[in-house]
Amino acid sequence: MINDKYANKIVDIIQNFARKSSLWVVAYGTGCGAIEIPPTMTSRYDAERFGIRGSATPRQADVLLITGYLSTKTLKRVIRTYEQMQDPKYVIGFGSCTINGGMYWDSYNTIKALDQYLPVDVFINGCMPRPEAVISGFIKLQELIKEGKANGAQKYKENLEWYRENQRKVIKNWKMPDYNW
Amino acid sequence: MFSISGIFITTFVSGLVAFLLHHSVPKIRDWFSIVIMGVIVYAVWELPVKANLLSFKLANYNLVFGNTEYGRLFALIVAVLGFFAILYSKDFMEGKPRLGYFYMAFFFSIGGMFGIVYSQDLISLFFFWEIMTWSSFLLVIYCCKEAQKIGLKYFVFSAIGAYSIMTAMVVLYSSIGSLQFADVFAGFGKMDFWSQLLVVVLLLMGFGVKSATMPLHVWAPGAYRITPSSFTAIFSGALSKMGIFGIGLTLFKIASATGFYPWVQEILAWIGALTALFATFYAVFATDAKTLLAYSSIGQLGYIVTGLAIGTPLSIAAALFLTVMHAIFKGMLFLATGAVYYRTGTTDMTKVSGLIRKMPYTFLTALFGIITVSGVPPLAGFSGKWMLYESLIQSNHYFLVVVIFFSSTAAFLYLYRYIFSLFLGQEEKETENVKEVPWLMRIPMLLLALATLVFGVAPGLLLHPVSAAMKYLGDFGVTYQTSVLFNEWGNKVDMLTVANTIGVVFIIVTIIITIKGYRSTRYVTTKDIHTSGEVPTENENLTYAVDFYKPFERALGSVLKASVDKIYNATGRILEQSFDYLRYVYTGNGQTYAMYVVLFLTILVVFSELIFGIKL
Amino acid sequence: MEINWLKVLGILITPVIAFIVGVTYGGLTRIITARIQNRFGPPVTQNFWDIVKLYSKKTNIQHGVMQHLAPVFAITASITTLYFVPVIRESTVFTNLSFQGDLIFLLYIMVFGSLGMALGVGQSGNPNGAIGVSRGLSQMVGYEIPFVLAIVAIMIQFKTTNLNDLIAMQNNFNHWIIFQSPFAFLAAILAFLGMMGYAPFDVVVAPAEIASGPPSEFGGKYLGLMMTSRSIFTFAKLTLFTDIFLGGAGDFVTLVIKTFALYMIPVLTGIVNPRFRTEQSIRFFWAWPTVFGILAVLIVVW
Repeated sequence: MINDKYANKIVDIIQNFARKSSLWVVAYGTGCGAIEIPPTMTSRYDAERFGIRGSATPRQADVLLITGYLSTKTLKRVIRTYEQMQDPKYVIGFGSCTINGGMYWDSYNTIKALDQYLPVDVFINGCMPRPEAVISGFIKLQELIKEGKANGAQKYKENLEWYRENQRKVIKNWKMPDYNW
Repeated sequence: MFSISGIFITTFVSGLVAFLLHHSVPKIRDWFSIVIMGVIVYAVWELPVKANLLSFKLANYNLVFGNTEYGRLFALIVAVLGFFAILYSKDFMEGKPRLGYFYMAFFFSIGGMFGIVYSQDLISLFFFWEIMTWSSFLLVIYCCKEAQKIGLKYFVFSAIGAYSIMTAMVVLYSSIGSLQFADVFAGFGKMDFWSQLLVVVLLLMGFGVKSATMPLHVWAPGAYRITPSSFTAIFSGALSKMGIFGIGLTLFKIASATGFYPWVQEILAWIGALTALFATFYAVFATDAKTLLAYSSIGQLGYIVTGLAIGTPLSIAAALFLTVMHAIFKGMLFLATGAVYYRTGTTDMTKVSGLIRKMPYTFLTALFGIITVSGVPPLAGFSGKWMLYESLIQSNHYFLVVVIFFSSTAAFLYLYRYIFSLFLGQEEKETENVKEVPWLMRIPMLLLALATLVFGVAPGLLLHPVSAAMKYLGDFGVTYQTSVLFNEWGNKVDMLTVANTIGVVFIIVTIIITIKGYRSTRYVTTKDIHTSGEVPTENENLTYAVDFYKPFERALGSVLKASVDKIYNATGRILEQSFDYLRYVYTGNGQTYAMYVVLFLTILVVFSELIFGIKL
Repeated sequence: MEINWLKVLGILITPVIAFIVGVTYGGLTRIITARIQNRFGPPVTQNFWDIVKLYSKKTNIQHGVMQHLAPVFAITASITTLYFVPVIRESTVFTNLSFQGDLIFLLYIMVFGSLGMALGVGQSGNPNGAIGVSRGLSQMVGYEIPFVLAIVAIMIQFKTTNLNDLIAMQNNFNHWIIFQSPFAFLAAILAFLGMMGYAPFDVVVAPAEIASGPPSEFGGKYLGLMMTSRSIFTFAKLTLFTDIFLGGAGDFVTLVIKTFALYMIPVLTGIVNPRFRTEQSIRFFWAWPTVFGILAVLIVVW
């Protein structure tokens, strides 16, 4: 319909602006970091100012928020949740545990680096990161989306083999439906 | 060919022929029945409308048959629905035992119904009424051992109904001296008050049994469930309409001449509304699809009874309109349920689920069926409901309309339950190999579905014969155009505009949403759902089917515990016990009996003056 | 046949206006909620951007034809309801098709969308969705009684079932039905609370219990269409209530004031209330609202 290059660009800008200003979060409260989500969302810090809102199911969500450490058992569910989300979708790694294992660096049943298994767009440092840090992480993600750089989903699609290999390494009873788009 | 006797003879003889064919050349039995039924539909359509088409004398009684507009409406329901049902039966009944018996009973019940709607005197009406009852009884007990008890219940209630009609006939004959409709209608006003009341109550009771009106409905759920689905469509769609036919005759041709007529109307209207209400409640908590539809059927007949009882032109139009519609949609729904039974072997709603992708045509039928029953525009159920509500409001039945509206809303509950449990929900492994039913079964269902759409857009097509039938019942006129309905205040609904609006918006939005992102829209199975990240295994049952309306049940509380069935059962037990005591009288000892005789004679002698007025 | 171009214009722009107003109301609701909770709240265009974002999702999933069509059913019902409600009194452009239908028709067409949605939710196979539908239908049976009582009271009082006639009779401030038949208004507005689905009657979606219930399997363009439909439907329902009880509106400013005032009743109730269980909410509707409805009818009869 619209073949004009500039028209496409305008559509892109509008779409990116819409994506940026409406982030629906499925907060996967895996670890202790989940305790920081309520203050972020409620009156004190009010993340809704930036269009950030909780969503109940992955089908409706844009952002998967991994709050803290991930045990191998939970990882399977997180991957499933991520794959059920609709493109474009973003992952925020929250807290030190998602970056290098944090205080669980030598644990036998948690994963150490989240981006080995899922394409993380933004990491938020800290143990715990305070709500201010969480919001600044979200704003960083919004900037990336606006510039069209938050393409973790595409990275996941392109490097699916590599991600799957890593995932299979830690998940022993691998029994998952195919990810086919 | 197109004489009344032709229709009777064809129907009853083909019943016998089908029975014989089953035992000689079973191959042509089905096609023979289909062709004959087709011919009968044509004959009923072509039969001229005349009050006296056939009359003969039988032992001093004049038996008269004729075709009235009122009877013709019902005859067409019977014939068309009968044709569809028999078309459906060919594949549905294949391989079942005793098919000759089935076809014979089928034809006999159809013939019985023709006899009822064509008869012009009470004797022949009663005669054919009994034929219909008997043949349908044969079909109730057709299936299995379980059917015996249900059959007994059906039989007892039918007998109650028949005896009340017969008693009414006796009373009528003793005071009028003739049982022909013309004489009865003319002479009824001259009878004394108490026999008038007696006759009206008895007749309403007798006809009320067949239309399953509330205190006399207990036979219906079981009987509808146990009969083969192809006949249940007739049973609920056409046979129960004979009760409506009789109630219409009683109310407008007989009772309207009496002084207590308004009271009868009010009471009957409330009985109808309460029937609708309670039947709906029972339907909501039924777990078997056919039981659910049976209660739904009772409820819908409640609306019709209410509509007839109100007795304003619009309400009668609504009632007759709903009569035809009920035949169509309940036929559809029972056929669709039969199709599910045909492929899965059960109608238990907690066991079957997710058939929509396997049986799309059956689903479509069921979808049209539930939309029509619920009365959502643009399908035809709406026109009937609209007329009913308007007539109730305009005849100052304010609380009645609320009860009716309430049960109509509660009907959404069971309708959704029905379609959700059978066709939607999780696709389970057990139904993996289910296929769509054969074409011969699909055609009747789809034609009936099409009819709901046609009559929905153009209710005038159906109001034409309905208003003709109303002319027979009395001086009732109702305003309508082909697609426009009017109420008595002059407000209107234009169904064509409605259908156009809905259709255009629906199609435009469908196109937009289909084109938008067509390539990137994927189909995923019903196992691929949000389950908090858990991957359900193949055999995991995720369907929400048991206790579907638990919150509603809690909200209703103890209302549901009341059951007419329990009252009857208690009565039955008490009677049984009292008869048990009576048994002690018959000891089986000859000497005791001899003593009874002596006692009896002694009493006779002692009290002879008192009893006979003579001293021995 | 002569085509009235003003009518055609009305048919085309009424849904657009309804959408804009509905979306803005949604945004305002979120701001008001935020302010009451001592927050700043999102921008007023937030709901609009949500919908745009949902439409611009790159991938979508559906579990079958019924789920694909469910939002279509919903929006068809919304737009049809809107067409049969007179938006502006005595206007050629904005009365649309309201002379072709009446109140009882509106009661039924309003269910059309919910029915389609329920079917789509059923096909998605999510048990949470089915639970939500079961709750929603049960609750509908609850609030339908007071609502019908109120509507019946009004219909028998004014001897008409057409909305345009009702509006014509309320030509003066004193003649508004809210003053003429206050009990009917009470019953209807309490039923309206249930109809809008804000707390305490939000058992249907209840995100914390059943993962947002019916829409739990809808995402992307389907959810976007549902939100669009919801915006239009909110406006249609508000206009309907304005027409019945507040004498309709002669121009857009009046309409916005009246509908917004009406809309604030469920919203403000919702903010300060927890959630009823399903049976509690049904029983709530069968208690006082029904009594008010019966009173309304009785007052009209005598």
